[in-house]
Parts: sequence; structure tokens; C-alpha cells
Amino acid sequence: MSRIIRIVVLVVLGLVWLVPTYLLVVNAAKDPTTFTTKQSWIPTDFHLFQNIGDALTLSGLGNSILSTAIYSIVSPAIAVVVGAAAGFAIVALKLRRGFLWFVVIFGGTVFPLQMILLPLFDGYSRVGLYDTRIGMVIVYTAISIPFSAFVMRNFFTGVAASVFEAAVLDGATTWRIFTRMYLPIASSALVAIFILQATFVWNDLLLGLTLTQSDDIRPIVTTLSGMQSTYGGAQMSTVLAAAVLVSLPTVILFLCTQKFFAKGLALGQY
Amino acid sequence: MTTRTATTYQWSARGFVAPGVILVAVLLYLPLLWTVYLSFTHYDGLGDPQWVGLDNYVEMFTDPGFVGSALNTLLWVVGTLIVPVGVGLAIALLTWNLGGGIWLRLPLLIPYALSGIGVGVIWSFILSSGGALDQALAAIGVTDPPRWLIDAPLNTVVMIIAAAWQGVGVNALLFTIGLQSIPKEPLEAARIDGANGLRLFGSILWPMLRPLTAVVVGLSIVASLKTFDIVWSMTKGGPGTVSETLALTMYKDTFVNSDYGLGSAIAVFLTIVTLVASIIYLRQQLSPKNEI
Amino acid sequence: MTSRRTLVTAVAALTVVGAALAGCSGSSGTAGGATTGTLSFYTDKAAWKPDFESLNATSKKDADITVKTTGYSDANQYDAFIKQSFRTSKSPGLFTWHTGDSLKQLVDDGLVAETTDIWAKAVKEGWVSEDLRTSYTFDGKQYCVPMNIAYWVMFYNKKTFDQNDITVPTTWDELNQVAATLKSKGVTPYYQTSQLFTFQWFQHLVASTDPDLYKGLEDGTVKYTDPRIVDVMNTWLDEEKKGWFSDAGSSTDPAVGLKQGDFAMIDFGTWYAGNLAGAGMTTSDYGMFAIPAVNSALDKTPVAVESGPLCVAAKSSQKALGLKYSEWWMSADAQSAWNKAHGDVAFNPKATVSDPALAKIGTEIAGPDYQLYDRFFEAMPTAVVTVALEQFGAFAANPGDPKPFLQKIQDAADKYWASQKK
Repeated sequence: MSRIIRIVVLVVLGLVWLVPTYLLVVNAAKDPTTFTTKQSWIPTDFHLFQNIGDALTLSGLGNSILSTAIYSIVSPAIAVVVGAAAGFAIVALKLRRGFLWFVVIFGGTVFPLQMILLPLFDGYSRVGLYDTRIGMVIVYTAISIPFSAFVMRNFFTGVAASVFEAAVLDGATTWRIFTRMYLPIASSALVAIFILQATFVWNDLLLGLTLTQSDDIRPIVTTLSGMQSTYGGAQMSTVLAAAVLVSLPTVILFLCTQKFFAKGLALGQY
Repeated sequence: MTTRTATTYQWSARGFVAPGVILVAVLLYLPLLWTVYLSFTHYDGLGDPQWVGLDNYVEMFTDPGFVGSALNTLLWVVGTLIVPVGVGLAIALLTWNLGGGIWLRLPLLIPYALSGIGVGVIWSFILSSGGALDQALAAIGVTDPPRWLIDAPLNTVVMIIAAAWQGVGVNALLFTIGLQSIPKEPLEAARIDGANGLRLFGSILWPMLRPLTAVVVGLSIVASLKTFDIVWSMTKGGPGTVSETLALTMYKDTFVNSDYGLGSAIAVFLTIVTLVASIIYLRQQLSPKNEI
Repeated sequence: MTSRRTLVTAVAALTVVGAALAGCSGSSGTAGGATTGTLSFYTDKAAWKPDFESLNATSKKDADITVKTTGYSDANQYDAFIKQSFRTSKSPGLFTWHTGDSLKQLVDDGLVAETTDIWAKAVKEGWVSEDLRTSYTFDGKQYCVPMNIAYWVMFYNKKTFDQNDITVPTTWDELNQVAATLKSKGVTPYYQTSQLFTFQWFQHLVASTDPDLYKGLEDGTVKYTDPRIVDVMNTWLDEEKKGWFSDAGSSTDPAVGLKQGDFAMIDFGTWYAGNLAGAGMTTSDYGMFAIPAVNSALDKTPVAVESGPLCVAAKSSQKALGLKYSEWWMSADAQSAWNKAHGDVAFNPKATVSDPALAKIGTEIAGPDYQLYDRFFEAMPTAVVTVALEQFGAFAANPGDPKPFLQKIQDAADKYWASQKK
């Protein structure tokens, strides 16, 4: 297919894809008291910052941001390393019944989150982890591990066994091999997984809703969702403004880390 | 070169895999076991669960709405494979080796970064009767558009498209990464031999993408079977129950009707189906003879 | 590469430690039987949180109690959370709930604190009508106190009425005239939706045809497939066929829809006035009237009332504090302050209702020409309500022969009443 055709197709596709985002921003910027749904496509006023301000005061967001930042950075970071360790064990160290253990870890992602919410709440309140940052970090780490293990296991299958053999010959311990060789090789994969999981944790609603109550422990999206109800909830444009606000960090994260993705989650060519 | 026996490094390996297994087992499986237990009981959230054996399962399978739910879920699985995965692959192929490919993929990635609240609300906004889409259609003269969110199975189809809007970018990214990691030599060799376009795809690209395709398809199957958020925020399974998926049925029984036993039974069923589907697919994809 | 990894891990570890140290929060509750201090309060009306918090100034002054509010916006998740919390040490000091079947469940299991004395005092002081007490009474004792009441009335767009020379209807025939006139001038008369609030027309048609018919549905003596109910549905079907209802597929906020003239009238609770204000409408833009009864032979026009209770968990460590706050809540001072913050009608006749339009309609409905019945949502058993809401929504989306829809609801009702007999 010629280059021109490809580029044109992609540009058109990109524009089409941007349309809902455009609608989101345009309508988030409208003044709630003059908001109508008749002209969704046309920006009528630029009330965006006031709407965001309203969203902030209405839900006391400031407190949540720090906590959410902690959850989105710490949990995926830990999960990424733990997942890589599991992949390393199964592939490089040829763990016996490796596939079984892989399924066990991967299985953690298979069932809908709703089903474990209440038992988790029960357990957490009994051991005193309810409404604590530590409790949230632990649970977010646990749910990020299966995806990380999945991708890392696949990644490591692309790393030739000879790499491991050579390191052993050099007298390295498995820990050193893992940290000095396998992790660095996988660095762009690790970063990519981290970014995807961080986004997921940042946007979490359910776990935050169930396992926290204080404003400063609650993740940001949970606090925001309180705005959106018929029982006197905020107006549509304020809700949309809140959605824009909450999405900004992740969008920026995506934009800035493009080059990591470009380097490629290369499946190893050794 | 020393050969490794089966027992070398086993202890070390167990050490490496342990943290993952422990965290997942305690945080995810333990609560799941409680759910499995509940599926054999009658429990309304207050008082204590009462053992009723297989009653919930019988009730689940004999409920006429169950078949509808299951079919919708199947529709989601198939739809998700065709649209987000299929289109993602197509885009990856289109942007491959194209200068500025990163920028061309960017608009597709932004939706993933948007918060769930925004996505559900904005698509309802677009698809509701008289909403943004209908206004655009009216502008080009289409005055009696279908009722996107009301008529089944159209509403499930449009919701799949909304889900695809979010998911295509990530899949395209993953496939791109897969394409970039294909070793150059076989590729060059094939090109020199005169293979290009479809033949190149069929004989070289597709087989070499296999491990990555396994990742993407595997994750898609799991995610689509669990579909909840988008449907809940756009139609709540309605009107009536026509767009309900199994995850929604489970949610309604548990949280709306406080029939935890029945909801748990559905959850267990869903989990088993997902697990079996993923194991079968992955085992086939990831067996040693398929790895390069 | 390696050093970056190590650095990240180190930072992560430090953050975790720091977070752990800073992390353990906890609401500051008071121990045991203290009757002053900060009360942990949970509500599923998260959007009303600012209103609750603004009351703290008054409650601090009057009773030296303030509330710390945790809001949930998803009612179902909230219910599940509250029920689960009864089993833990976190059972709430104060929380909002629902009257009807849901409250009965809690009372039967001894999970909420009794408030008989508080009600006795409130009735004596004239803070609340005796009628309202019945919804809160089980086996002769009262539980919880009312947080609010709201009547379900018809909101209408004044400009639309004026433009089409329409006056507020006082009989069912007049209402039908109004609808027909509007339709002939190209205005859709009524709002409808296929999600959640799908019951209000049904409840009005049934209860205002015969209040006993409605009561029969409440206790299971009347089936949804009863010919009189089918007749009611056929009236609704007729109106749908005449195009009197808005498009059920639209998810436009009803307040915005009323404002921009998509339809002329909305059947909603008086609390909706707050939403209309948020959309930029004032009482010169919209008005309210009690919906006339279908059956003009009735002496008193039935009006649906919804009342949300404020409850205290029986086993909570903040029980005494919660009860003291409940007692204060019913007083005229508290209710006036609440009304100022939140709007809507008040259950306390001695409270000042700040919005004159609401004050007027509130007094009118509390008067001799009207009788109250419980809103569908609370009046019917939960399992039946879930199916009914879905079926009414489906009916609104695709109006047709009502019998299949009613049958599905009756199936759920049959199942429920059968399980009650065990």
C-alpha cells in the first residue's frame, strides 16, 4: 500500500477518534445555567476553568490527589517488579510446573472485581486495613500483578537461554542475574506496563469506593463520582469538567512517554 | 556449557515467584473463595448465610433471562475480537515503518487515558436520542435515526464500538511493538524473494506475531467477558434486560436485590468460563512448539 | 539502567514507609456513650454533602455535635456497604436509609436503634405529623427519624403554558385537555425515561384511581395482572400512542430538557427544585402543581410522598451521639437550617421553608384535600421494584400490550410472596 494512502487513512481515523474527546472538552466548557443539549457540537462559552473550580470545591478533591498519586506510582512499581520476578522464575529458571503457576497468577485477573469487593471490605475492616493508605497500596499492587506477570513472562521467552547460561558461567547469583541483566533488558517493557497499570489505578472507582471513606485516603475518581447523581448532583457540564480534570495527568503521562513505547516492548532478539 | 537439570535453581525460582503468588492468593483468591462459598448459600447481607446446596445454580440456569445475558456476553466477546483487536492490528500494520507513526497513533491512545466517568457520560451524550450523533445526522438530512441505546441488539453493538474507542489504541500499540521486534533477517529475505503485502503478512508477520497476539487476544477475551462499566453507565442493561451481560446480571442480583447467593453463583460460572477459555487458548498459543 | 531501577525501587520503598506512617487515618469518633463531639455520618446522597456539612455551624451551637460526612453516589453499593458494616466494628453512628421493606429488614434483625422516645417528644412539640410516624413504626415502636420528605408533583414550564394559553389543571379531565392542547401545538406534554425513574406515572394512575388498589399491590393481595391494573396500563398506553411522552431514549438531564422546551411537564419529587435551580431556572420559569386524581369521585387527592430516614446503628460505638443528633434534627431550628441549606419541603410544620413556592405547595398538600401514599420505590418489596422499574422502562421505550410486562413483574412478586411464607 502506498505511503500516501496509508497516511490519509490514518489521519482520517485519528480525526474521527478525536471527535468524542472534542465533544467532551467543548461541553465541559459550557456554563451550566445556559447549558442546552441542542448544540452539542458548538462551543458556546469558555466556562471551563469555573466548572473545574466548581468540581474541585464540590468534591474536596485536593486531598485525594496526593493519595491517588501515591497509589498510582507505588503499586504499579511494585507490581511490575513482582510480575517480572514471576516471569523470570517461570522462563529463565524453568520453575517446575511453571505453566500452572502462571495460570494461578494470571487467574487473578479473570473474575469481575465486583465479586471480591465485599469479602475484601469485611477482611480489611477486621484486620484494620480499612481506610488506610497501606491497605490501598497492597490491593492495587495485587491487582496489577497478573497483567505484569503475563506480559513479562511472554517477554522473557524471547530472551535466549544462552544469556542466562553465560551469566551462570560467570559466577553470578540468580538475584544478580535478575537485577543486573533481565530487568535492564526489559526496561522499556517495564515502563510500558507501569504506565498502563498506573492509568488503571488512577482511574479506579470500585476499590476506592469499597475500601476507603476519608477524603484524604479516597482516590480521586471515587470522590468525583459522588457528583454525578440525579439526587441533586452537579450539572452535566460540571461533571464533564471534572472528568477532564481527572484525565489530565494520565493523558499527559501518555503524551510524554511516547518514546518508551517507540523503543518497543521488544520481545528480545538475543 | 553446563546443562541444567530439572532441579537446578528450583528453590531460587520458587523464591522469585512467591511474592506474586502470595499477593494474588491472599488479596484476590481468598475473597473469591468466600464468593464460591456464598454461591451455595442463601444470603441477603444481614444475618448469616444458609446453606442451600445447588439451588442457586439451578435457579440461574433455569432463568429465561440468563440465556439472553449469556448471548449478549458472547456478542461482546466476538465483537471485541473483531473491533478493538482486529482494528488495532490493522492500524499497527498501517503505521508500521511509517515515519511519524507515533503521532498518527496518538489520537487513538488518548481515549485509554480518559477517566471512565468521562467515557460513559460522553458516549451516552452522543448516542442518546437527540444527542450529538443524531444532531450530526440531522445536519446531513437523516431525520429518523435508529434509537441507538434502546433497540437491541443495536444497543449492544454501539456499546461495543464505544468500548472499542477506548481499547483500539492500546491494542495497536501492543501489536506495533510486536511488529517492531520481528527479526530483520527473515523479513529482508522474504522481501528479496518477492513476497510483499498479503503474502508477507501471511507467511512471516502473522506467525511471528503469535506470542503478542496471544497476549492481546487473551486479555481481550478476559476483559470482554467481564464487561460491566460501559454497559452499566450507558443502558444499565436495559431497556428491560435486553442489553444485560452476565457481569451485569451478577451485579444486579448481588447489589440491587441483595441476593448474594445467586449473584455469587453467576460470578463463579463466569469465572469458570473465562478461566477455561483462557487456558485453552493460551496453552495452545504458548506451547513450546509455537515459540520461536 | 540498573541504577534507575534501583532508584525507583528505593523511592517506592520510602514512599510506602512514609505513607504507612502517615496513612493510618480513621474517623475521630467519640467513645461509648458520649453525647457531644464529631459524628461519623454516611449517606448515599453524596451530592447533598455540602448541605449536611453547612449544618454543622448550627448543630455545634445547639447541641455541640458536628458530623463528618462520607458520601456515596451509587445507592446499591451504598446499601451493600452499610449492610456489610453492621458485621464489623465500623457500624455507622448515623446513616441515611430507605423506608419500607428495606427498613423493615434492618429492624427485624435488630440492627437499628429505637427512637420511640424521640418521636413521642417530636409529636408533642408539634415538630412532625402523626401520619409520618406510621412509616417509621414497626410493632408499635419507632426506629430512625425522618431526614426529609418530598412530595411527587408536576413541575411545568411557565413560559410554555403561557405561550399556549394554558392554565394549571385541577381535574384529570383538565389535565388531559392540557396535554392534548400542547400536543396539537407541537409541544410534547410529559417527560419520561427508560432508566430508574420509570415508576411515577404508574404509581399515580393506580393510587389515584383507587388508593386501596395501590395498597393491595403493597401487601400482595392484588396482582399486577389484575384487570384493573391492566386497565390503568392501557390508559398509559393510550397516552403513549397519542405521543404525549418524550423520547425514552434521551438521556438529557430532565431539568435541561424542561428549560429548553423539549417537554412541558415533569412528574418528580419536590427535591428536584434544586436541580432546576442548578440548570438556571427560577420560580418564574417553572411552577408546580399536585397532579389531579384520575378518579374524580375521591374526596382527597392522593399524593406520593417519599421520606428518607436518618438511622443509628444499634451496635455502633457512637450510638448515643447519633441518637442525640437525631433528636436535634427533628427540631424546628434544625429543620429551618436544613431547609435554608437544601431547599425542598419540610416535615416539621414549624420550620421555615425558604422557597415560597415550595412552602405553598407543602402547606397545601399537608392540608385536608390531600392524602399521602408511600412512593412506589419504598412501598413495594425490593425484588419486585427492581423488575418493575426495568419493565416500566421497557414499556416506555416500546409501548405495547401491557400484559407481558405486567406478567414479568407479577412473576417476581409471586416469587417474593412465596418466600415470605416460608
